[in-house]
Amino acid sequence: MSTDSIRVRVSGIEQVSPLIREFTLEAIDGEFLAFSPGSHVVVEMPAEPRPHRNAYSLLSDPRDSGCYRIAVRLQEQSRGGSVYMHESVKVGDELTITPPANLFAPNWNAGKHLLLAGGVGITPFMAYLPELKRRGADFELHYLYRGSSTGAYREQLKAELGEQCFLYDSEAGERCALGELLAEQPRGTHVYICGPEELIAGVREVTEELGWPASHVHFEAFAAPQPGNPFEVELSRSGRTVKVDGETTLLEALEDAEVDVPHLCRGGVCGQCVTRVLSGDIEHRDEFLSAAEREQGDCIMPCVSRASGKRLVIDL
Amino acid sequence: MQIDPRIKSRPLYDPVVIRSKAKKHLFIGAGAELDALYASLPQEQCIRVAGGADGLTEALRAELDKVFDTLPLASAVYVCGSEGFMWDIRNLALAAGLADEQVQMCKPSTKERRLFCTHCYEITEGVTHSPQVCSACGRLLLVRDHYSKLHGAYVGVQINAEDPADIPETEELV
Repeated sequence: MSTDSIRVRVSGIEQVSPLIREFTLEAIDGEFLAFSPGSHVVVEMPAEPRPHRNAYSLLSDPRDSGCYRIAVRLQEQSRGGSVYMHESVKVGDELTITPPANLFAPNWNAGKHLLLAGGVGITPFMAYLPELKRRGADFELHYLYRGSSTGAYREQLKAELGEQCFLYDSEAGERCALGELLAEQPRGTHVYICGPEELIAGVREVTEELGWPASHVHFEAFAAPQPGNPFEVELSRSGRTVKVDGETTLLEALEDAEVDVPHLCRGGVCGQCVTRVLSGDIEHRDEFLSAAEREQGDCIMPCVSRASGKRLVIDL
Repeated sequence: MQIDPRIKSRPLYDPVVIRSKAKKHLFIGAGAELDALYASLPQEQCIRVAGGADGLTEALRAELDKVFDTLPLASAVYVCGSEGFMWDIRNLALAAGLADEQVQMCKPSTKERRLFCTHCYEITEGVTHSPQVCSACGRLLLVRDHYSKLHGAYVGVQINAEDPADIPETEELV
C-alpha cells in the first residue's frame, strides 16, 4: 500500500435509489479526520483471489468527523467491487479505507460555482454543498439522472436548495440544455462536472467552443479498470517477467508479484502510479496523461492502462 | 542530476496570439505588437485602453475597473508595457474573475525591474543593477531572478547582512 489504511465498521446501509446504496462508515480505532469537499477514499473489500479496491467520493459533511458516508452504484460492467458492496457487505462488517485524498476540490476564488452531476456523480457535490452554504458562496446545482435507477437524494436536495437546484430526469424527457446553460454564466464562474464520460466530454466540448478558460472547468471521472487482452511485462531493473491476465490490471499484477508501485486513486485520475515504458505499445485508458504524453508512448498508468501488444518493458 | 540554472518563477513571454474563441478582446497599452493584433479583429469585439506609460495610475485603475465589469466570461486581455505594469493588470483581471490563460503579455518594454524588499516589504521601481539600495529601508539588496506574481516584482534580499561594510561590485541585470 502507498498510504496508511484505516479500519472502519459499516454502521448503516441505505438504498437511496434503485441502483445506489449508501454506506455509513465509522472508525474502529479513534476518530476520522475532517476532510475537504471533493475528497475520495479507496475502499478495500476482502475478496478472492485479491481484494477489490474502488475509489468512492465522500458525501458526508466535510466537517463531520463522526462518520464518513459513501454511495455505490451497482455497475452492470463491474469487476466485482460494486457487486460486492451491494450483495456481500452487511451492517457491522469491517472494511479498510485509505485516508481521504482530494483531486476535485472547489476553487474558492470562483465568483460562482456551477455544479453538474450525472447520476451517482452527485456524491462529491453532497460534500460541496454544506461548505458552499457555510461560506455564503454563489452556486447552482444541475442534477441529471434516470428516475427508475439513479437520482438519489433529489427530493432532499430540492427541499434544501430550492431555486438553486435544477433536476433533469431523462426518463421524463427532461434535458439539460448545456449550450444555453454554459453560455449565460457570468465572468468568474467555475464549472464542476462529475458523472459519466459522455457528460464530461460534452461539457468540455461546449465550454471550449464558448471560449471558457480551461482552468475554470473541473471534472472527475474515475475509470473503473476494464478487462483486456493478456500480456507480459518485463521489469528492466530486475529482469523479471510478470504475466498480466485479461481480468487483472497491470498494477494488480505488479502488486501480486510484490513490486511496490506508488499509487493513490486506482482509477486513472491522480497520476501517482505513472511508470516509464522502455518498449512496447500502450493502450492508454487513463484521464491523466495529455494527448502529447500519450503520443510519446514512454509512460503508462498501470492502474487502468494495458499493453496493446503482447509485451511491455517498464522501468521498474 | 543537473540543476536547472533558470529560476522557475521568472516569467517567460511567448508571442501574443489572438484567443480565437473569445467574445471580447481587451487591449491595454500602446505597442506595435498590440496594434497589429487589434487591427486584425472586428472592431465591435474589441476594447482599447491607452496608458500604462506611468504604470497603473489611480485614474487608469478606475477606468479599468469599469471596463472589466463589462467583460463576458469568454474574454481575452492583451497587455504591453513594463513588466510590473503587465502583472498589475493580470492581478486586476484575476480579481475580476478572469483566468491566467485569458491574460497575455507582450515582451516587457524595458529591462527595468520592480524590486520587492523581503525585509521591509516595500517596492523599488526601475531597477537595472544589482545590488540595489532599497528605496524604503536603505538595505543593500541582491536582486534575485525569483519572481513574485502577486507583487509583480523580483525579490530582493540583503546582500551584506553580516558585514554592512562589505559592498560587492555592481552588475547590470539582464
